[in-house]
Amino acid sequence: MVYLKYKTGGEQMSSIVDDIRATARQLLTDGKVDVVIGYEKGSLPLKATPCFVRSPQDIDKLIWDETCENNLAAFSTLTEGKKAIIAKGCDSRALVVLLQENQLVRDDLYIIGVSCQGVINKKKIEAETGEILEASIADGKVTVKGMVCDKEYTFTEVKDASCQTCRYPNPVLEDIHIGGSIDVPQQAAVFADVAEMENKTAGERQAYFQEQMSKCIRCYACRNACPLCYCKECFVDCNSPKWLTGGVDQAENLFFQAGRVLHLAGRCVECGACSRACPQDVDIRALNRKMSKDVFTMYKHESGISMDSNPALNEYSADDPEAFLVKE
Amino acid sequence: MKITKEKFGQSFDALAADYQIIAPVSDAGGVNYKAVKSFSEVKQDYLNSKLPPKSFLFPQHEKLLSYKKEGKDVTIKNELKVGKSILFGVRPCDAKAMLLLDKVFKNDEYTDPYYYERRDNSVIIGLACNKISPTCFCSSMSISPASSEGSDIFLIDLGDSYQVEVITEKGKALMAGLEELVELSAEEQALVDTIKSAQTASKVDVSTITAKLDKMFDSPFWDTLHEKCLSCNACSFACPTCHCFDISEEVHKNEGSRVRTWDACMAPLFTLHGSGHNPRDKKKARWRQRMMHKFNYFVHNNGDIACVGCGRCIKSCPVNLDIRQVIDGVNNVELVVD
Amino acid sequence: MEQNPYLPITMKLIKNLCETEDKLINTFTLEFLSKEDEENFKYMPGQFAELSAYGAGEAPFGIATSPTEPGIIKFSVAKVGCVSNALHLMEEGTMVGVRGPMGNYYPMEEFKGKNLVIIGGGFAFTTLRSMAVYMLDEKHRADYGDITVIYGARNPGLLLYKEELAEWETNPNINLVTTIDRPAEGWTKRVGFIPTITEEVAPSSVNTYAVVCGPPAMIKYTLPVLEKLGFPPERIYTSLEMRMKCGLGICGRCNIGPKYVCKDGPVFSMAQLKELPSEY
Repeated sequence: MVYLKYKTGGEQMSSIVDDIRATARQLLTDGKVDVVIGYEKGSLPLKATPCFVRSPQDIDKLIWDETCENNLAAFSTLTEGKKAIIAKGCDSRALVVLLQENQLVRDDLYIIGVSCQGVINKKKIEAETGEILEASIADGKVTVKGMVCDKEYTFTEVKDASCQTCRYPNPVLEDIHIGGSIDVPQQAAVFADVAEMENKTAGERQAYFQEQMSKCIRCYACRNACPLCYCKECFVDCNSPKWLTGGVDQAENLFFQAGRVLHLAGRCVECGACSRACPQDVDIRALNRKMSKDVFTMYKHESGISMDSNPALNEYSADDPEAFLVKE
Repeated sequence: MKITKEKFGQSFDALAADYQIIAPVSDAGGVNYKAVKSFSEVKQDYLNSKLPPKSFLFPQHEKLLSYKKEGKDVTIKNELKVGKSILFGVRPCDAKAMLLLDKVFKNDEYTDPYYYERRDNSVIIGLACNKISPTCFCSSMSISPASSEGSDIFLIDLGDSYQVEVITEKGKALMAGLEELVELSAEEQALVDTIKSAQTASKVDVSTITAKLDKMFDSPFWDTLHEKCLSCNACSFACPTCHCFDISEEVHKNEGSRVRTWDACMAPLFTLHGSGHNPRDKKKARWRQRMMHKFNYFVHNNGDIACVGCGRCIKSCPVNLDIRQVIDGVNNVELVVD
Repeated sequence: MEQNPYLPITMKLIKNLCETEDKLINTFTLEFLSKEDEENFKYMPGQFAELSAYGAGEAPFGIATSPTEPGIIKFSVAKVGCVSNALHLMEEGTMVGVRGPMGNYYPMEEFKGKNLVIIGGGFAFTTLRSMAVYMLDEKHRADYGDITVIYGARNPGLLLYKEELAEWETNPNINLVTTIDRPAEGWTKRVGFIPTITEEVAPSSVNTYAVVCGPPAMIKYTLPVLEKLGFPPERIYTSLEMRMKCGLGICGRCNIGPKYVCKDGPVFSMAQLKELPSEY
């Protein structure tokens, strides 16, 4: 693949949009898929919204830019029929895990891969500018007119936290690739953010997570936005046994979030959809990142990066660390 | 008439001795209603809270009763205890929403004592919106950024003072101690007039939606509307009028309590029968229920639309399923005449 | 202050009886602890109550007794969830909670002077039993015309209230037809599904009301039979089940269109149901 440096909001983007639309049109007219799951312009500034295109006349709704933040793999298990899905690097990793876990039929799935240099975290901007009234993206700059103030950001400044640490901006599984691909940034320490958390004292960490968890309202937007939280009955909804109460204090909330992290051990693809979906801005990702780091360091496993790699929990080796076992 | 914020703050702090005062404070990267002790804690300049103040009348998690089992016997204790409260700085949309909740928690047969004990012991001090968010559409729901409906006392922020309107007897009783009201200046009156005539920029048309929905239960409109919905409860929990709840048991050894917690029609398990049958197992049915309940069933049962145009569901939706667009969508449906 | 509708009264489980061969349905007999409790619990056939098994929770069940049976109320409950499981395992003498009576009831006033055809399938016979016992009571029997009961189950062992059915067999005040789905050893009465048997029995629709309760499939196929026999939708009643929590028309989950099954129902005429969306 030829590496093309592509600019935010520039010509490259519009040619990607053209190619996405052309691909979608071809797939629908050839009857290869029933639906193309992509993005269209949302009703709010800097917000794209998932879009389900079934007929060629809707194809021109499809867009592609730095506001396409949802992980569309979440819809792959909810949408019936043959579907094409526009997948960023992280979305494609989620699809790989879903395929490995037999949640999807490969033949019913057409992956339109697009390399992604990150999505915008709107909440980060609104914390400064107040609610966004208008915004535009051009030449790597995000210009915002807000209710409190107007401001211009570089794209890097407002990139979502999960994109800051992304190691897989290019789709790992795809049926067609649109646009160029992206150089994987060399990160000195891949899990620098986790290390920073680990270096805090236990008291500091406890205080941080207590504060975060006290914000949670248990709306389960995080769980439902997660492409890999597909259980028909989540442990939080189960009433016999009843794992946790409907209480919304920080202890119960942490139990929920920690339970989710454990269920995602070796599966989480670090797309950050959970944190972006959270209406209360809970730092859910911090827990998942720690789990990803532990799985990586202990098992040398990164989830969903290839169809050939065995899921971490499906593999056993005599050399597996067993620190959790009681030693004699 | 107006009162300076300084004087108002002194009265506020004095009232805190007798009342639990719930007011907007900085919280969770935004503003939320919390118990405060002093006026100095109150956030002055805010659009609206992230979560509606309904939780003070209808908490997200609330004990209804507790019990203790001993052998075959059981002792039950009513957990209803309520003190006097003031809800300060309630926006017109949220004050109207409380009037709607009033209709839910009292019907021709039953009165919900947990809600009504709080309600009857609360005084609502409303506050006009000087600034209007782009997602606000209260003007389309027979409310305005400065409507006093639902407030016991209604304030308009004039900078260093509040214009005060006493709306109800309850408000009058609370204001009895306040002798410090003075006349507005001409400029202040002009400012009040401007705020009072303001409208939200965002508008929807709900003039015929109830009648339209009467005929739309089987419309293909619902077939695709729900597709991007993730079935989370963010919109319902952020909604000042959503009121569905679950009742469950929390047990520890031989003691336990019966609690009610917020629930939502978006959750697939909400209507699941013990037998496994589920009348609203599909997202399509659940989204139809959400719209029907707010814009049709509620109107038939209570005479009002159960949406106040606060826009919180729009801001909290992770997939940008914008209720204004859904309303437009309903309006644009062409009914098949048979 | 008005009574708190969320607070149950305490009642004593005096009998926990296994009704069916598959051991999945038990009948619980609960005794009022005081005259006052009983006075406050005035109910009619078709109403339900929220039954609390403390430690497990609360769930709604139709009242199987008739108000003409003083001192007690009974519920026949299938073991399906966490509350019903706890109830099935409960020792006699244990205190339980009861909230109710809730919901509307069969229109016993409207039925006066009319013949009644009561059609029940499986364990949905509970409130139908209540109604039959109510009408058979000597104070009420003269108010009603002929009473025909068509009651079926998959096999003889799954019929509820066997002793009472045996008594009805010989009672001239009631015409009982029992049926099972497939032939079984020792069974000498009718064999066949409820809709077929209803067609065979062919009760006259003249001056007659029908009340039908049972699994959705049974109701679905019985309605056309009744229609053929000349029953108009206004004279066919049924009782619906829905997931319920509060039982007060507040918590929002048991609605069919604008109606709450817990408060506006559970008893509906087919004419009323035709006006509502088919979401149940």
